[in-house]
Amino acid sequence: MIRVALPVHLRTLARVSGDVTLDIDGPVTQRSVLDALEARYPMLRGTIRDHVTHKRRAFIRFFACEQDLSNESPDAPLPDAVAKGAEPYLIVGAMAGG
Amino acid sequence: MGTPTPFGSATELSASEIARYSRHLLIPEVATEGQKRLKAAKVLVIGAGGLGSPLGLYLAAAGVGQLGIVDFDVVEFSNLQRQVLHTTPDVGRRKTESAAAHLRAINPEIQITTYDTRISSANAMELIRPYDIVIDGTDNFPTRYLVNDACVLLGKSNIYGSIYRFEGQVSVFAPPAGPCYRCLFAEPPPPGMVPSCAEGGVLGILPGVIGCMQATEAVKLILGIGEPLIGRLLLYDALEMKFREVRIQRDPQCPLCGEQPTLRELIDYEQFCGVRGQEAPGAPFESDFEISVEEVKARMDRGDDFDILDVRNPEEWQICRLGSAKLVPLGELQERMRELDPAREWVVHCRSGARSAKAVELLRQAGFVNVKNVRGGISEWASKIDPSMPKY
Ligand SMILES: [Zn+2]
Repeated sequence: MIRVALPVHLRTLARVSGDVTLDIDGPVTQRSVLDALEARYPMLRGTIRDHVTHKRRAFIRFFACEQDLSNESPDAPLPDAVAKGAEPYLIVGAMAGG
Repeated sequence: MGTPTPFGSATELSASEIARYSRHLLIPEVATEGQKRLKAAKVLVIGAGGLGSPLGLYLAAAGVGQLGIVDFDVVEFSNLQRQVLHTTPDVGRRKTESAAAHLRAINPEIQITTYDTRISSANAMELIRPYDIVIDGTDNFPTRYLVNDACVLLGKSNIYGSIYRFEGQVSVFAPPAGPCYRCLFAEPPPPGMVPSCAEGGVLGILPGVIGCMQATEAVKLILGIGEPLIGRLLLYDALEMKFREVRIQRDPQCPLCGEQPTLRELIDYEQFCGVRGQEAPGAPFESDFEISVEEVKARMDRGDDFDILDVRNPEEWQICRLGSAKLVPLGELQERMRELDPAREWVVHCRSGARSAKAVELLRQAGFVNVKNVRGGISEWASKIDPSMPKY
């Protein structure tokens, strides 16, 4: 089971509260996690990755275990702690409120 | 990462200052030497709002010798839930004026300079140049990129904080020691995608938490003590009462602080962020697809046949609404469009016109021909048509 933490406005959009949990068959990579997330919550398509290119959008970043994975290969395996659900996969978005 | 250089030259402390700052003077990491550094420091606070309030109060109390405050706004009732620098009798007063009065009351020993102006590409360099440290307490993307760019171009540390509902982010941007805001978020979200606090609300205490962390970072930088929040982004969630820290790095391709910078001067930030004015009441939109509140009222009174679509959130709907309006929050519009008849005439409104402009665009793309955005939204309606309606 994978835990995914979404920015507030995307939690609102997906109508979830707290972390999202996903079950992934096969290798746990950024791509497989995001694919599973978008399959479960189709309204998130285009908000995290570009609709067409599936590249990370420039106002979103990905982290896990304190490390910035935003520019890592989407097919690289995620840390064990994330694959086991001990640590969340963080999707962090730009916010501007003050 | 290196210890930041102490700023300015220290001057002696007076007897009244020694009495005032005695609890600082007793801390070995601050002591008389550190307090003199604080006295010599020049800090510019951009925005005297949610974040600027607590951090301004604490920096003034801590004895930062020269405090600059930039804001263009006036104090409103809806500010008082979190902007603790301003009080009820200040409603209607310039924020800079109110801020200066309260900060002087807290500490008459320091010098407070106010700038009653909107920071822009035309004045940002001039405003920031005299200061050692900048604290970003602004509330919109164009200004955040502007402040970031001006700070990088001038080599000033930028203490960043931002908030929404129950969550906040804090970091210190100080290239080359760490990344800048553009390294983190190369581009802003398209307008309307990420709601502002004015649209989505914010827990009043949240800017207190985040602003106080920004103030702490400022004092640490001035004193040259501790580990500054450079190259680290702190994420705070008030509901879970949890802090998370992630590492962030410089982007070698950053157009501003990267290896081959292409941005060497300030740009048009409204254009960069794709916004024509923030959610300011009466902000100009394309006139063919907009309608004034007076016109809506006249057409209602005439009994014209049209439908009203409200794209605000249910929480806003509970505060006030236009009688016969249909509520479909902007975020749900795409999937619920089938509920609306494209053959009908639709007049669309939100709080003050920005979200409904986005909705009008979506509806037009979906083939709705006769759609108009209510200029100034329900706020304008409350001001001009129905003064009994609550404003928020
Ligand atoms: Zn940069």
